[in-house]
Amino acid sequence: MKAPTRVAVIHAFFLLFAISLVARAAKVQVVEGKQWAARGKRQHFFAGSLSAPRGEILDASGNTLVESREMTRVALALPEMRDTALVLKALRRARLDAAAVHAAIDRRRRWIEIPGLYSASDVASISKLNGVHLTPVLQRVYGNSDGIKRIVGSLDGRGNPLDGLELALDSLLRGDSGRVSLARDNNGRALDSPDGWTEQPKAGSTVVLTINNTLQDICERELSIAVDSLKAEGGDIVVMNPHTGEILALASNRVGRTTFGNTAVTEPFEPGSTLKPFVAASLLEHKRARPSDIVNTHNGKLELDGRIITDMHKAAQLSLSDVIRFSSNVGIVEFGQRLTPRQKYETFRDLGFGMALGVPLPAEAAGTLREPRQWSRQTAASILMGYEIAVTPLQLVTAYAAIANGGELLEPHLVKEVRSVEGKVVYRAETRAIRRVMSGEVARTIQQMLLAVVQEGTATKADLATFEVAGKSGTARRTSQNAGYTAGNYTASFVGLFPGNDPQYVVLVKLDSPKGAHYAGGDIAAPVTQIVLRAALAARDAALDREGLAASEKSTLADVARASNGTRSTATPKVAQRVRGDATDALDRAAYDPSDNMAPRAEPEETASYFVDLPASPKLAVAPRLPVTPRPIPDVRRLSVREAVRALHGAGFRVRVVTAASPGTLPAAGTMAAPGTLVQLTRPLE
Amino acid sequence: MRGRTLVGVVLAAFVLVALSIVWRRTIGIGQSERLAQLDGNRVDLESERARLEAEIRDASARQTLGTSAERRLGMHIPSDKQVVILPRATR
Repeated sequence: MKAPTRVAVIHAFFLLFAISLVARAAKVQVVEGKQWAARGKRQHFFAGSLSAPRGEILDASGNTLVESREMTRVALALPEMRDTALVLKALRRARLDAAAVHAAIDRRRRWIEIPGLYSASDVASISKLNGVHLTPVLQRVYGNSDGIKRIVGSLDGRGNPLDGLELALDSLLRGDSGRVSLARDNNGRALDSPDGWTEQPKAGSTVVLTINNTLQDICERELSIAVDSLKAEGGDIVVMNPHTGEILALASNRVGRTTFGNTAVTEPFEPGSTLKPFVAASLLEHKRARPSDIVNTHNGKLELDGRIITDMHKAAQLSLSDVIRFSSNVGIVEFGQRLTPRQKYETFRDLGFGMALGVPLPAEAAGTLREPRQWSRQTAASILMGYEIAVTPLQLVTAYAAIANGGELLEPHLVKEVRSVEGKVVYRAETRAIRRVMSGEVARTIQQMLLAVVQEGTATKADLATFEVAGKSGTARRTSQNAGYTAGNYTASFVGLFPGNDPQYVVLVKLDSPKGAHYAGGDIAAPVTQIVLRAALAARDAALDREGLAASEKSTLADVARASNGTRSTATPKVAQRVRGDATDALDRAAYDPSDNMAPRAEPEETASYFVDLPASPKLAVAPRLPVTPRPIPDVRRLSVREAVRALHGAGFRVRVVTAASPGTLPAAGTMAAPGTLVQLTRPLE
Repeated sequence: MRGRTLVGVVLAAFVLVALSIVWRRTIGIGQSERLAQLDGNRVDLESERARLEAEIRDASARQTLGTSAERRLGMHIPSDKQVVILPRATR
């Protein structure tokens, strides 16, 4: 056998090499083809995430409160940098924070994130440098309004919600992020690939709030001025539409401390006298009193259960209406003894105190309302004056809205509607009554009492020249940490209904720890309410029904009264008086049901004069006593002597009882007489 | 010679096709970069719009405008007496 030549060996070697190459190629292409193709695709293409634009938040008129904009975060990967000095120079040219860049590079970390977010044009020049990584980030753009920020909340640097509506409604606002296939160039930078695919992101829904931006601005500005000028520790203003439960403005201000969330929803306070109208409503509802009923108010000083209850406005006796009008602590405690502890508790519980209202704001406080079994000896009286109970400003406004709308406690809401990205309404808030807390008749009567508070009571500084304002002031002592109630530390508040005869707003103004000579709610919170209302009236869009307002003007009401009475009206609106008279009379005529648990009623002293000693104030210094308006002597012929005395006292007259042949009064029923006039009541012979 | 010519033509065609593919891809990548740049510009402008609108909102807010109007122009919030609500005309 012939030995292979050298050439043949070389040929064989090349042949084997060729066969192995072909075999290897066949293995790569045929056997492992799919696997390698996938690996190649992975290296060349990658799936990038497309962040969904977060939904906008609008006010009730469609003005943007919060929107998103795309910014860029810059990061440096030092190992990838070929020329650090060049990158540094480019970063400086791009106006990035040079100090931060230097500091970061000096530390020689592998991955450095430059603090802050930059616009795409700022960083366009550095986008192609090796080692510079740009990441698009959605940034929320908020206005300067602190109040709006407290309502809508905020996001952290990574776009995660921290508080406010951003947190509560995150699932709606967030949207669904998309994905996109991108190609890499030779430097590893992403390029849109013509062969790629894209899953478009779905933008978050648009949330429309019930907040009226104009009114919100007004409230924030006036609150800020009030807090500054009174050197208060803070304050809150809440405005609500009493017919729908829509929250129109939520302004909060705290000096020298950081607060999270909206304090009108998160910080309860002892409301003081602003709770008295609800006690009066409960008395009327349970038929334990009538507006004209009179109690002995002990000249403004009452010793009860080991403590002394005092009044700012001293009076010997007051009717229920005047107890509200002059905010008598002694009077409300005397009247309140006619209610059982359970009735008091249920009154406040039904008004929504002691439980969260369910507005979509995180950390909403429930307030404090203890059950009667947890009450101390003094709670039964304290709670009537608005102590030993804590409510949030929003709870208080919601409760007053029940008075304004005829007795229904409405669910307050902050979100008007939610729209999908296509503009379709996916949710629309509806007015929902939680429960009826008082009859329409009682609500009207309380409303009339509140009108009197502003017309000639403790809150005259809230009054407007052309519109009626109803409301109630409150001045509650505040506690200090570990020190109990401290002198000179008050919460001044006022809750107003505007217009008083057909409310479109319920406004609460609360000021914490005002400093200075004036600290009463009627002196400092009522004027803030007045200026908020004036500014709202002057504003183009402040959620007011102008047609309704035109009908509520005092001059219009007077015209209506003239037309209906056929007489000339005086400066005081007659319709308001007539309505007040009707409601009061209706309740006075209603069956009176004194129960066994009713406390003994203080009999009016025959010699007691019926006037109220008001403290000196700029407006009242000239005329310290109440305006004396003649009023008709009521017809009491069909009443028992006791009831007749009460009715006459309720109407403001002094009474002397004499025996005669026929029952009646002297002067006769219907005669106009000034309050305080001595009326002779004749008792028939037995 | 015919065979060599044929091979030459085929090779030339191959080179042309390859060149056209490379050229097309180069154009595609260029367009893609241009698109990315334009998209960046769009994002930038949108971002600027949002910022400017926010600034306009802040500047026209009562907090800013009201203070300036009172301090510089001596304006004030009208009293309710000075506000006249005109009834809507009936037809």
